[in-house]
Order: sequence, then structure tokens, then C-alpha cells
Amino acid sequence: MGRSLKKGPYVDEKLFAKVHKRIESGSHEPIKTWARRCTIIPEFVGFTFMVHNGKMFHKVFVTEDMVGHKLGEFSPTRVFRGHSSRKVVTATAAPTPG
Amino acid sequence: MPRITGVDIPNDKSIWISLTYIYGIGRHTSELILKEAKIEQSTKAGKLSEDELSRITQIIDHNYTAGGQLRRQISQNIARLRDIGCYKGMRHRKGLPVHGQRTRTNARTRKGPRKTVAGKKGVKEQRG
Repeated sequence: MGRSLKKGPYVDEKLFAKVHKRIESGSHEPIKTWARRCTIIPEFVGFTFMVHNGKMFHKVFVTEDMVGHKLGEFSPTRVFRGHSSRKVVTATAAPTPG
Repeated sequence: MPRITGVDIPNDKSIWISLTYIYGIGRHTSELILKEAKIEQSTKAGKLSEDELSRITQIIDHNYTAGGQLRRQISQNIARLRDIGCYKGMRHRKGLPVHGQRTRTNARTRKGPRKTVAGKKGVKEQRG
């Protein structure tokens, strides 16, 4: 389900204020944020955000292509390290299957 | 056989159905195109005059993205998602479902044929 166009994109106000401050002062140091649900707007381009994923902060450098996405899309919350390699164990334990 | 939008060569069925052989044009769009070109739907595709064919081609070119162009557009959209490293792009890269479907079971369209893992529950019973 998309968001109603009437409302416009959701932008976290505190984050927006922070970005504005940086634009005025011209600094480009990363902004730590928990606002994963905040839409990336054109003003954010060129900034680096540290987006929380529940555990740590992912460094996200915003490019033009990312406009319209949410910050959270770039900070994965799940880590998949592959399935446990039990293949090796069973291969050595039971060399003749069946 | 008539040739519309590049390589697509619809056969000698009625033009309404023939147009759906073009990627991106279904029965609905086909109907709309023919209405705009003022061509009878049931005319056989092979019996269309040059003029009628060019009218169809023009309408498709102007109002719709179809055929190779549409394919290119879609793959470009996916490539964009992959490049920016967002969640959807990662799902595309891994060949897993993109729209939040379950993957514990099913999802075979994206994941391809089952890869049985030795030692997992159920394998021993299968061997009997």
C-alpha cells in the first residue's frame, strides 16, 4: 500500500532540521539517526547518515538515485550468514549413504 | 506476415489477438489501440493494409512502451535497485522474493528447484 499523495512524503522533522543546520553551516559530518521511516528527499543528497538497524549504525551515503526511498531500506536488520555447513559433518560421519 | 515494433511478427490470427504477442500489450491495451486506429478487431493480421499497420505502429510508439524497450526499462529499474544497495535490490541480487513473501516454505518461483540438504530433517525418512 502506498501512502496517500495528499499527505506528501513523510520526513522526520528533527532529522530534517539537523540536515538544514548542516546545509547552513556547510559541514558534511555523518548524522546519527534512528528515523528509518524517514523518506529521503533531494535535500539529503550528498550527506552521510548513520542509520540504526536495532543494533548498530550503518553508514549510508545518500546519492541522487536514493531519493524517494526510506532510510531504513539501506540498513538491513537481519543478518544471514548462510546455513550451517552440516554437509561436511554428515559426509565424514556417513560416507556410504543408505 | 506483418511486422510491428521491431521483431514481433504476429501471425494470421485476428489483429486483436496478434497484437498481444508483443511484450507489454495485452488484450485490453490491444483493444484500445485498435479503437484508436479505427480498425475492426476481428480483421486478420495478414490482411491489414500498409497504412493500417503504420497507424498501429505509430500509436504504440507514441503512447506505450512495449517490446524490447519495455524489457530494457524493467531491467534498468532492477539494476538501479541493485546499485543503490537498498533492501529490494538485495533481494533481487540474492534471487529471493522482493515483496515480503514468506521464504520458509514456497517461494519456489524465485528460488528455483529445491536443493535438498543432507542431514536435514526428513532426508533420512525419504531414503527409507
